[in-house]
Amino acid sequence: MRGTYRTGLIPLLLLCLACSGPPEGTVDVPGREGAVKTTAVKRAERRAYDGAPPVIAHENFQLDCTECHDLEGMEIDDVGFAPPSPHEKTMGMSATARCRQCHVFSATDDVFIANTFAGLRQDLRKGQRLNPLAPPTLPHKAFMRENCTACHSGPAAREEIRTDHPERPRCRQCHVPVTTRETFVRGAT
Amino acid sequence: MKRRDFLKILAATPGVAAFSCSDQEDAERIAAQRQATSDADLTWTKAPCRYCGTGCGVEVGAKDGRVMAVRGDEASPVNRGLLCVKGYHLPAFLYGEDRLLYPQLRDGDGWKRISWDEALDLVAAKYQETLDQHGPEAVAIYGSGQWTVFDGYAASKWFRGGMRSNNVEPNARLCMASAVTGFMTQFQSDEPMGCYEDFEVGDDFIMWGNNMAEMHPVLFSRILETKRNKPGTRIIDLATRRTPTSDYADMYVEFTPGSDLALANGIMHLLLRSGKVDRSFVAENVVFKRGIEDLDQIGYGCYGENAERYTFKDKPRDSSFAELEAFLADYTPAKVSEISGVPEGQIRALADIYGDSGRGTVSLWCMGVNQHTRGTWMNNLITDLHLLTGKISRPGANPFSLTGQPSACGTVREVGTLAHRLPADMVVMKEAHRAKAEEIWGLPAGTIPPKPGYHTMDMFRAFMRGEVKTMWVQTTNPWVTIPNLHRIDRKPGDGRFVVVSDIYPTPTTEIADLILPAAAWVEREGVFGNTERRTQHWHKAVEPPGEAKEDAWQIVEVAKRMGMEHLFPWPEDDWHEPMYEEYRSFTLGLGKDVASYAQLEQTRGMLWPVVDGKETRYRYAAGHDPYVKKAEGVHFYKAKGYGEKAAVWLRPYHPPAEVPDDEYPYWLCTGRILEHWHTGSMTRRVAQLHQAEPGAYVEINRADASELGVKSGDRVRVVSRRGNVELPARVDGRGKPPRGSVFVPFFDEGRLINRVTLDAMDNISKEPDYKKCAVRIERA
Repeated sequence: MRGTYRTGLIPLLLLCLACSGPPEGTVDVPGREGAVKTTAVKRAERRAYDGAPPVIAHENFQLDCTECHDLEGMEIDDVGFAPPSPHEKTMGMSATARCRQCHVFSATDDVFIANTFAGLRQDLRKGQRLNPLAPPTLPHKAFMRENCTACHSGPAAREEIRTDHPERPRCRQCHVPVTTRETFVRGAT
Repeated sequence: MKRRDFLKILAATPGVAAFSCSDQEDAERIAAQRQATSDADLTWTKAPCRYCGTGCGVEVGAKDGRVMAVRGDEASPVNRGLLCVKGYHLPAFLYGEDRLLYPQLRDGDGWKRISWDEALDLVAAKYQETLDQHGPEAVAIYGSGQWTVFDGYAASKWFRGGMRSNNVEPNARLCMASAVTGFMTQFQSDEPMGCYEDFEVGDDFIMWGNNMAEMHPVLFSRILETKRNKPGTRIIDLATRRTPTSDYADMYVEFTPGSDLALANGIMHLLLRSGKVDRSFVAENVVFKRGIEDLDQIGYGCYGENAERYTFKDKPRDSSFAELEAFLADYTPAKVSEISGVPEGQIRALADIYGDSGRGTVSLWCMGVNQHTRGTWMNNLITDLHLLTGKISRPGANPFSLTGQPSACGTVREVGTLAHRLPADMVVMKEAHRAKAEEIWGLPAGTIPPKPGYHTMDMFRAFMRGEVKTMWVQTTNPWVTIPNLHRIDRKPGDGRFVVVSDIYPTPTTEIADLILPAAAWVEREGVFGNTERRTQHWHKAVEPPGEAKEDAWQIVEVAKRMGMEHLFPWPEDDWHEPMYEEYRSFTLGLGKDVASYAQLEQTRGMLWPVVDGKETRYRYAAGHDPYVKKAEGVHFYKAKGYGEKAAVWLRPYHPPAEVPDDEYPYWLCTGRILEHWHTGSMTRRVAQLHQAEPGAYVEINRADASELGVKSGDRVRVVSRRGNVELPARVDGRGKPPRGSVFVPFFDEGRLINRVTLDAMDNISKEPDYKKCAVRIERA
C-alpha cells in the first residue's frame, strides 16, 4: 500500500517476537510495535564499502525497481518495506533510469576467490555543529543522495540518523555539505 | 577506538536513545572495526576507471596503503559522478587472495619463487638467445588496450628500436582493429571526430550491433537523460538479439547475422533514390574509393592455404558518385529485406532518419561491427552514411565507434602498438615515418624494420609452429580470448619460452614458463586514453603488494639488461614524465597533439588535439579544430592522399564465413555482460560481481528451448566443428536471442566458449569474428 508505514512481515514477526525476538538480521523499530528493519551489520554486508551501491536484497520480482522503490517507498506484503530511492535528480546522468547497472542481484553466496578488501565503513559520527542547537552539516556527499528522506525518515530510516522534523521538506536550507576543510582567507584566490 | 570513546560519540549524538539495544551493539561493532573512519580520513586521488573504454573518472580513497573506497568523480566531464556496478566495486579487484606477489619460474609441474634480478636476467637472456639464433622475427610481445601509455610506449620502443622487431601486438587486434582500419581508410587518421557531448546534442542514436546499456552503461545513461530532457530523442537498436539496450529503443531492428552490410547499403540506396544525399557537402569534402570485392580473392582468413598465415592486401582504386549509384542499384529494399530479414518498412524508416537533414544523427558501434569478417567494410559503410548526408564533424551528428578497453585508444591506437603502427598514425611501412621515429629515438637510420610484424592471429600461429620462440604477454589473457583455442593448446617444455606478467593466476599464467607479478591500476602511475580522445593521468595511490612491479618498469629493466639502456635514458625515480613528453613530441603539429603532462595532472583529462592549451571537441570542424583554417564547414586535413577529403568506400555484402546448416543449426554469438569485464580475471574476484553472475551460461530462445526440451538451468552442450562446452541454459534472461540463435558470454575461464568459436577474420584489419559461427545444442 503506497505511502503507508505499516511494515510488512508483521504477522510473521509477531509470531517470532512471541518466542525469541525479531528475525535474524533485523531489529525492531522503536515506537512501532511489530515493525522491523535490518541491522547496521546487515546494511554493511550489502555494500562493498560505505558509498557503494547495495546489492539487491530480495529475489527478482520481474518488475521495474521504481514501482516499489519510488520517492516514498512502500510496504510489500510478505517482503517488507521497500525503501525509497535516494536518487532524486542526479542531473545529466539519468540515475534513476537503469537501477540495475549499479545494483545487482546475488545468485549465490559463494566466492570465486577469497578477497581481503576491507572497505570504508559507515561513519556513525554526526556532522559538525557550530553549537548544540545548530543544524549539523552533511557528513557525506549529497550526490546520488538527493532525496534526504529516503534514509532519514520513514520506516527504513535507521534510528541514529532519523530526523525529528520530517515535516520540513527543504533539508538543504539548513543542512549543507562540507566541500572543503579549509577556512576563509582574505585575498586568497 | 576504545569503547569509552565510541560511547562518548554515541552520547554526543542526538537521537542515540532511539537505538535499540541490539542495533547499538551492531553499530558499535562496525564503528570499532574501522575506528569510525570517514570519507574525510581517506586520501582521495583522481584516476580513470580500470575497465572499459568509456574512461569514467573516479576518486580513489586510500588509507594506510589500502584502497578503501571509490566515488564517481563529479568533476569528470565523462561520467559526472556516476559509475556502473563494476566501477563502484573497483577497489576490491585489487585484493583477491591469490594476487601474484613474486616472480615464479616453472619447476616441473610446479613453480619456484625467484628474485626479480634472476627473473629479469632470464627474460633478457632468452630474448638475446632467440635474437642471436633466430633473428628478430622469432621474438614477440603481446600486450593490450590495458597497457598504459607508458607500458605500450616502452614495449614499442624496445621492440622496434632495440630488437629491430615489429612483433609488438595488443589484444586490441581482437577488439577494435576494424575501427582503426575503418577510420584510416576514410580519413587517413584514426579515431572519432566527435565526443561524448554528442550524446546531449544529438537527436537520433543508432546502435549498430551495440549493447550499450551493458557495455558502456554510463554513456548510455547520458543518452537516456537526453531522451528524458528532450522529447523526440530516439534510440534505434539494430541487433541480432534483444538486449537490455533494446528495452529503451524506439525501434528495434533485428537482422540476420552478417547482413548489416546489406542493410547499410540498402539505406544508402534509398538515400540516393530519395535525393537525400547532401550533394554540396559531398562535392566539397568527399572522394569515392573501391577495393577488391571478389569473395574468392578475399576469403575469410583461416581456411585452406591461408590457414597458417593470411596476408590479404586490398587494392584501392578511385571510384565516383556515378559508380556508387550503379553499385547500389542492386540493394533495393526488397532484396535487402530478403538478405537481412528486416522488413522493408524499417529499412525505409532508417533511411528517413539518416536522410532527415534537420536532425542530428549519431551512429554508435563496438564489437558487433568490429568483430566481423568484414569489420572494416562495416565501419566504412556506417561512416559512408554520415559522409553522404553531411552529418559528420558537427555537434550531435557523427559516426562514433566505442572501445572496450581503457586505453585501446590512448595506447594501442595513439602510441601505436599494433604490429604495423608507430605513434600518431604513423606506420612502419613508410620510410619517412620510420625516419621520424628514429630521429626522436636517437637511433641510426634503418634501425626500424619496414615489414610489419605478425598480427595477433598470425603471431599465435607462428608461436605454435615454433617460429616465434620467445613471447612476453602482459595485461591480457590470450589463452581465454583467442578464438578456436584448440589451435594454441600449449604444454610448456616445447622449446619455446613464454613470460606472463599479470596480477592474478589465469589460464595464460598456467601455460607460462615464467610469471611476473604486476602492479595494478592505482598501484602505479599511469596514463590512459579513452574513446572520445581524452587522455587521462593518475598518480600512484598505494604501493603494489609483495614485489609486484608496473609493466613498463619490467620492460625497461629487461631492455637495460640487453644493453639497450640508451632507449630509456631517464632517472630511475623520475621517468614517467620524460617518457610521456618524448612520446608527446611525436604528436605535436600533426593534429594528434596530446596534452602536456602538467595539464594532465591538473585536469580530468583533455581531448586531443590540444593546441595552445585548449582541447578539441570536434575534429575537422571549423570553429572547433585549430587545424581547420576554413571559416565554416569541415576540412579533412589529415587525408593528404585523398586531396584532404574523406573517402566514401563502396563495399558489397558478403555472407559470413560459416552459417547454420542441418548439422549445426544455430548461430552462436559471444560477448560481455555488465558485471564482468572481459575474461573476468579481475571482476570475478569481487564478491558482489561474482555473486551476481557466477558463471557463463547459454541464452536460448524460448521456442527453441521448448523444442529441445530444455528449461532454464538445464545443462546443455554447445557444439561446433571446433569443440564444445557444457553450460547451463538460460531462457528469457537479460538477452533474448531470436529463434535459431544462442549467446554465450566469454568471461568464464572454466567454461571456455572460445573452444567453440571460429577463427575467421576480417580481411583488412585481421580482427576475428566472435559473433557468428554455427553450433548445435545437445542436452548434456
